[in-house]
Amino acid sequence: MQKLIKDALQEIQQASNLQELKNVEVKYLGRSGLITDLLKTLKDLSTEEKRTKGQEIQEIKKSFTENYLIAEKKLQKQAIEEKLTKEFFDITFNEINPQRSQQKGSLHPLSILQKEVEEIFSEMGFEVADGPEVESEYYNFEALNIPAHHPARDMQDTFFLNCPTDKKQGQLVLRTHTSPVQIRMMEKYGAPLRLIVPGRVFRYEATDATHDSTFNQVEGLLIDKNISLAHLKGLMQEFLKRFFKEEATVRFRPGYFPFVEPGIEMDMLWTKNGKSKWLEVMGAGMVHPNVLKAGGLDSNKYQGWAFGFGLTRFALLRYNIDGIRSLHSNDLRYLKQF
Amino acid sequence: MKISINWIKNYLNLPDQKDWEAFGDLLTVRTAEVEEVIDLAKSFDHMVIGQIDEIRPHPNADKLKITVTNIGSTTHQIICGGSNIFVGQKVAVALPGAKVKWHGEGDLIELQASKIRGEESFGMICAGSEIGMKDEIEGGILDLSHLKDLPGTPLAEALNKNDIIIDIENKTLTHRPDLWGHYGMAREIAAITDQKLKPIKFFEKYNLELPNIIDIDLKETKLCPRYLSITLDNIKVEESPNWLKTALENTGNKSINNIVDATNFVMLELGNPLHAFDTKQIEGEKIIVRKAKAGEIITTLDNEEKKLDKDILIIADNKKPLAIAGIKGGLHSGINHKTKTITLEAANFEPISIRKSSVKLGIRTDSVQRFEKSLDPLLAEKALDRLVKIILDLCPSAKIISKKQDINNFKYQPKVIEFDLDKACQKIGIEIDKKTAKDLLEKLEFKIETSKGNILNVTVPSFRATKDINLPEDLTEELARLYGYEKIKPIIPELSIRTIPRPNDELKEEHLIKDILSLELGFNETINYSFYSLKTIENSNLNHNDHITICNHLSEEQTHLRTNLIPNLLLNAKENLKNFTEFKLFENGRTYKLANSFFPVEEKFFAGIIVLNDKSITEPFYQIKTAIEILLNRLNINSLKYQKSQIDNPLSHPNQSATYFDFKTQKEVINIFTLHPQVAHNFNFKKEKIACFTLNFSALHQLPHPPRKYKNIAKFPSITFDISLIIDKNQEIANIEKTIYKADNNLITKIELFDFYQGENIPKDKKSLAFHITLQSDNRTLQDEDMKNIQNNIIKNLEKLNAEIR
Repeated sequence: MQKLIKDALQEIQQASNLQELKNVEVKYLGRSGLITDLLKTLKDLSTEEKRTKGQEIQEIKKSFTENYLIAEKKLQKQAIEEKLTKEFFDITFNEINPQRSQQKGSLHPLSILQKEVEEIFSEMGFEVADGPEVESEYYNFEALNIPAHHPARDMQDTFFLNCPTDKKQGQLVLRTHTSPVQIRMMEKYGAPLRLIVPGRVFRYEATDATHDSTFNQVEGLLIDKNISLAHLKGLMQEFLKRFFKEEATVRFRPGYFPFVEPGIEMDMLWTKNGKSKWLEVMGAGMVHPNVLKAGGLDSNKYQGWAFGFGLTRFALLRYNIDGIRSLHSNDLRYLKQF
Repeated sequence: MKISINWIKNYLNLPDQKDWEAFGDLLTVRTAEVEEVIDLAKSFDHMVIGQIDEIRPHPNADKLKITVTNIGSTTHQIICGGSNIFVGQKVAVALPGAKVKWHGEGDLIELQASKIRGEESFGMICAGSEIGMKDEIEGGILDLSHLKDLPGTPLAEALNKNDIIIDIENKTLTHRPDLWGHYGMAREIAAITDQKLKPIKFFEKYNLELPNIIDIDLKETKLCPRYLSITLDNIKVEESPNWLKTALENTGNKSINNIVDATNFVMLELGNPLHAFDTKQIEGEKIIVRKAKAGEIITTLDNEEKKLDKDILIIADNKKPLAIAGIKGGLHSGINHKTKTITLEAANFEPISIRKSSVKLGIRTDSVQRFEKSLDPLLAEKALDRLVKIILDLCPSAKIISKKQDINNFKYQPKVIEFDLDKACQKIGIEIDKKTAKDLLEKLEFKIETSKGNILNVTVPSFRATKDINLPEDLTEELARLYGYEKIKPIIPELSIRTIPRPNDELKEEHLIKDILSLELGFNETINYSFYSLKTIENSNLNHNDHITICNHLSEEQTHLRTNLIPNLLLNAKENLKNFTEFKLFENGRTYKLANSFFPVEEKFFAGIIVLNDKSITEPFYQIKTAIEILLNRLNINSLKYQKSQIDNPLSHPNQSATYFDFKTQKEVINIFTLHPQVAHNFNFKKEKIACFTLNFSALHQLPHPPRKYKNIAKFPSITFDISLIIDKNQEIANIEKTIYKADNNLITKIELFDFYQGENIPKDKKSLAFHITLQSDNRTLQDEDMKNIQNNIIKNLEKLNAEIR
């Protein structure tokens, strides 16, 4: 019996991993293990013998278990350490057959930026409005102080639609700017107004690196009492700062849009490769009294500004895209980058 | 429009600038956008006048000659191939460092001293086309012998190219008729730079006793508010003097002859177009300003025949049209070297009619550009007085032989605007005191004679009064830009309680769907044009009569407004198959459909397409279906009923199309379908498996979106067992599941198809299916007994469907 325990403890010591240790346990304490067998012999002994022998065997079992637990603890620790130090893991490994697994989807850059712009303006207290893409000449031009045959209509080469005309509304056109929504919102809500209108606009312009027949614009309108160009400058600097994530320097210069007076163009100082230049980013100005009137507002009581910028242009700047055409190419090699 | 600084300097003491770019910037922020500042002399750097002292043959080339050319300080050997060189000739010499165009072609190249066929050549003797000018003789060099300048004179100086040209973006002058001439621009520059504008000289001493010579019959007083005319004799038509040629050429105009150049000069100076007729060609001694007769024909100065109609205003004599009023002169009565007597026209035409006629005839001229901006009728007379003065200067022999006729039908009344300075400042967002405001406005020739407090009575100068300045707001702009927009300090506007933004749930849901489709379901978003072509419509089995068409489309690819988003997505898919074999695309955009109302119906749609390889074991239809179900679940929409499509969709496979249907509106909100094989063929798809969905977002957004409600997690354990069966191939899964549910609607809580097989070992008309079925009760632990009962019921029910349970 002394030999048995000596062997057992030695075997526990020699086990070099958890599996070997487990085997030792099975050998001694398993259903037909050596110690288990010894215990089984007890039932054939006298009461006295049962007590002394039994005690002896229990001692052996106890000693075995104690040693076993110590060894097990040691080997567990060793196993974890081995995993931590030795197990090879290649983080550069790719799944071998991604075909079957989920592919990465993507949002169009214009969608991403539109949402960003909406969020920035929402945070600044603007609501986001919407209007039809097929507009009437009335909303697209007349109501915006661009009467028929005004030279300004040249600035916005227009797609006309083959549809019946209306006496007040004129012909149907694809809107050349998001500005008609100014009138629609004034008609709907009156003043004050504090809103932006992101949307698709159309120009009768052949496609080249900087022009396209379709592009996305964001219109802004702030109408209240005492609203000035200083507020426009303040808000635009803040917007550009949040959008481009760096301090923005802007300048105003005279610009001509019949629906605003004073009319301004806003430039932003743009630095690329260490060179700075003024970049035209939006048209803006104080809403023309005729426009307020067309929208049913009292121009003696209310005043404010409007602005419009090309989201498409901002997308080119933000992502360093060199031609407007790729924005409508819908080439997955390009879409998947976003 | 090109503005010459040398020309401007005639009207004010404009100091030379170190940095003309900065000067251009100043104009940009005060007045109008400067597109480019061009230093004309720059392209003549390292070029001088040379004089050929000696010519001898080149030993190694027949066509080349060796010259010794004097360039003032020294002489150089220069090799030259010009056919017209001679000793004593003055020539343009480009020295090493100059940039020239070899033989007038290609890019500019910097010259270096080099050997030509073994002989040294220090620079070159230039042909006109090599330095941006015209070639007078084919293969000849530019002969400058007529110039008085000595050898060594910088070429820019000799050619009068020491000028700065400010090129202004025309669009920014749309509302400023006064800036379409150098004098107007000088007035602006004087105001900006705080200089004094000098007056210009006009002819004044008209003789009222003289006859008319040519009578004026002004029939259209509305279209022509003013017509002035005068006739001069003893005219000598000849080449213009240098100063005039230079002024015109430096601003991008061609010099023609002294008379035509004089009319153009005054137009470019004062902004009022002018015309000179050859008096001899005016038949009946009469000029009639009338509308053209339908079909009347005129040959214009550039020898083009134009057919006129009865809305077009013309200048005619008794027999024929002489000119298209305010647009272009006629060839017949134009000035040529034989002309001895001229009749000058200075007029004012109604802008809208000019514009309409110009568009109709497809003629856009400097004259149209000015008249369409609403010119000041007072300016016409000034222009004539100035033109007479210039012509008499150019042609001292000329004699005025008629009186100055002035037929006019306008009443000039100075425009006075009550200008509230406080209100203006409140709009600009800056305080400007009364004195400053007054000074600034007066620099632009506004007159402020009376004022009450900060309310100024401002008289608008006539040249600003036609259209540009009408309202106090217009004066606010004048004040703001002259004071300087850069002085406005940025302020963040207050956000008052009243203006809490209204939410836009529709837009939010639109973004949410985009996010789910792309970020969760793996679609790539595309953005297509709103149009497509007739061919695409036909390829898509759509009816072109349902489409709105564009009157003035840009290309045959963009003729119809889309009624469906799928066709453009199919084009995208086709294109992308060049680089990818399997993908999912979607788009969010509008469709445009004819309606009974004036405005067409615009609906917002989502559409998607899944393209799978033909070897793919799954059908894209099922992927689309899964995607839509995940989407609807995310959006909390559960009121749609899924069923076989009831409406024919021309794009879809007739048997592989389903719809998510709204009972209330009887509207198919979402369609999912396998692409019609014919459409697939039309779009040239080969074996790809393609399925699509279209989702009417405008309709979907109207559906109830009941908020998600938490459901308690079952307290009692569930039992799951499997059922395998073989059943007719044509049995719908939904029907089988329904049959299974019937066994116990309460306890069966989930049925999940986990195996599907068709093929070997199964009869051809059968399919093998296996389901996990889950039982669950809310109020007790289920027993084996429950399961057995349900199993038996399921088997009994399925057997009614001819299923064989395995």
